Amino acid sequence: MNLSHAHGDVPTVTARRASTDEPKLRLESVGKSFHVPRGPAIEAIADVSFTTHENEVCVLLGPSGCGKSTVLRMVAGLEQPTSGNLTLDGQPILGPAQERGMVFQAYTSFDWLTVQQNVEYGMRLNHVPRAERRERASHFIELVGLHRFANTYPRHLSGGMKQRVAIARTLANQPSLLLMDEPFGALDAQTRWQMQELMLSIAEAANTTVLMVTHDIEEAIFLADRIEFMSRHPGTIREEIVPAFKQGRRLRRKEELIGLSGYDDLERHILQLMREQGGDSADH
Amino acid sequence: MTVRNGDHAFRQRWFEFLAPISRKWRIILGSSIWILFFGLWEAAVISGWVNTLLVPSPLQVINTLYELFAEQGFLMDVGISVARILGSFTVACAIAIPLGVLMGSFKTVESFVNPFVSAWRYLPAPAFIPILLMWFGTGELPKLALLFLGVIFFLITLIMDHTSQVRSELIETAMTLGGKRWQILWTVVVPAVLPNIVTSMRQMLAIAWTYLVIAEIIASTSGIGAMMMRARRFLNTDEIMAGILIIGVLGLAFDVMFRWLQRVLFPYLEQEGHA
Ligand SMILES: Nc1ncnc2c1ncn2[C@@H]1O[C@H](COP(=O)(O)OP(=O)(O)OP(=O)(O)O)[C@@H](O)[C@H]1O
Ligand SMILES: [Mg+2]
Repeated sequence: MNLSHAHGDVPTVTARRASTDEPKLRLESVGKSFHVPRGPAIEAIADVSFTTHENEVCVLLGPSGCGKSTVLRMVAGLEQPTSGNLTLDGQPILGPAQERGMVFQAYTSFDWLTVQQNVEYGMRLNHVPRAERRERASHFIELVGLHRFANTYPRHLSGGMKQRVAIARTLANQPSLLLMDEPFGALDAQTRWQMQELMLSIAEAANTTVLMVTHDIEEAIFLADRIEFMSRHPGTIREEIVPAFKQGRRLRRKEELIGLSGYDDLERHILQLMREQGGDSADH
Repeated sequence: MTVRNGDHAFRQRWFEFLAPISRKWRIILGSSIWILFFGLWEAAVISGWVNTLLVPSPLQVINTLYELFAEQGFLMDVGISVARILGSFTVACAIAIPLGVLMGSFKTVESFVNPFVSAWRYLPAPAFIPILLMWFGTGELPKLALLFLGVIFFLITLIMDHTSQVRSELIETAMTLGGKRWQILWTVVVPAVLPNIVTSMRQMLAIAWTYLVIAEIIASTSGIGAMMMRARRFLNTDEIMAGILIIGVLGLAFDVMFRWLQRVLFPYLEQEGHA
């Protein structure tokens, strides 16, 4: 496994990590097989191990079908691992919980609630007092730039706006780990990078640790403090990549990426990894 | 039907794929088929094509309908029929809605109840008429029971299917927001499926009318169906047709009511551009 390429000569900056070295999220030799009726069990992922640290943006990247969603769903507690351990802050993950909020690729706004009510929804489940609920919801609606639509029903919103509602709803619920499965996959190119920039600034502002899935290389490089590259059949971590060329800081704008030396090398490297996986990428 | 685009008439033909139709024309076309129907009927009677003893003229039917209400206390019969429908349908819904939602939400409930429900669904409700008459005599109970049996199993199945089709991402989102099972049932599953439940109720109410008429024709001395059977004995075809007319009008009225209910309850579903 060749890590030197990704690390380059620049020492990895670890300023973002919490003072203790105990990681926020830890996966140890996690495996998952699916049982299908009248067929052999499908080994979706095998021996996946990685850690994510406090306030880090960690991106799961890899070709289609390598098990990114499966890993994320297990962290969310929506899927039970067949083997291995998953822990958050040292506690085993035994099911879905408020501390691990998830944003899906498909739109999940509740049609029968207004934007404001949608964003308040999680807090209502957790019995947050009404006044605080209002205030926190308004804050996050403002952050995602939807304050003019607070009293609108989701069916009148565009795809990107619906996704912003979902993000605001999850963040307003104050999870300690934000999970996102290709949250911008269904958006057009322009909305997509606007949302990426928005996500970075919000993650910063809300001090949230993020674990995100994508199969878009550029998106991964732009957002990630750390990339876990997965290969398939069965899905496992092929390489851990720290985009060292960013020197441990986060970019605010997409165009900053272009000038940075090291960006091209990293993109080339990941493209090569993707191609190795290739072969049967026709099913992509 | 022409629209002008500058100096040119934009192509607009009577039969055009995917073309919308204006409200005005929809109403004109929709009423003309009825005018045509009653016109032909009236013409057939006047010209003597048909025996007026068997086919009275439409005007005669309207006239009879008026007399039935004004002089023969028909309102009572209509009231009894509507009360039977509402009574049994309410009981059916009170059982079918919670049960269907639970079956659609939890596989354990479905596995337990569905084998029973789906077996009953294949038994046509009228098959139970003889035994219902033996058990309950000729009072209200056998009629209510027939209506109940006629709709309950279909209603349960419809609601179960709609509930199990609530998108899993919505439920999973609520789970990762920290929702407990019962919270999710009440705040996600129920609101998500409610519009479909109302639609199912609307469909099944139409079926309930069918069973009502069967029950009243076979074994009843009151209600719209019973009036029609009485009229048959005296060869009063105009009264029979008046009965048919009133059943149609009531069915339509209930349908309109349900659609109105849907608009009031679920304003968020309102289509743009549809007034
Ligand atoms: N519920 C399931 N039942 C059976 N097999 C499944 C199930 N979910 C996932 N799999 C299998 O597990 C493997 C990984 O799926 P997963 O959805 O995690 O991939 P992915 O990396 O998210 O792909 P994509 O980029 O296309 O979303 C696939 O081969 C898939 O067929
Ligand atoms: Mg996926």
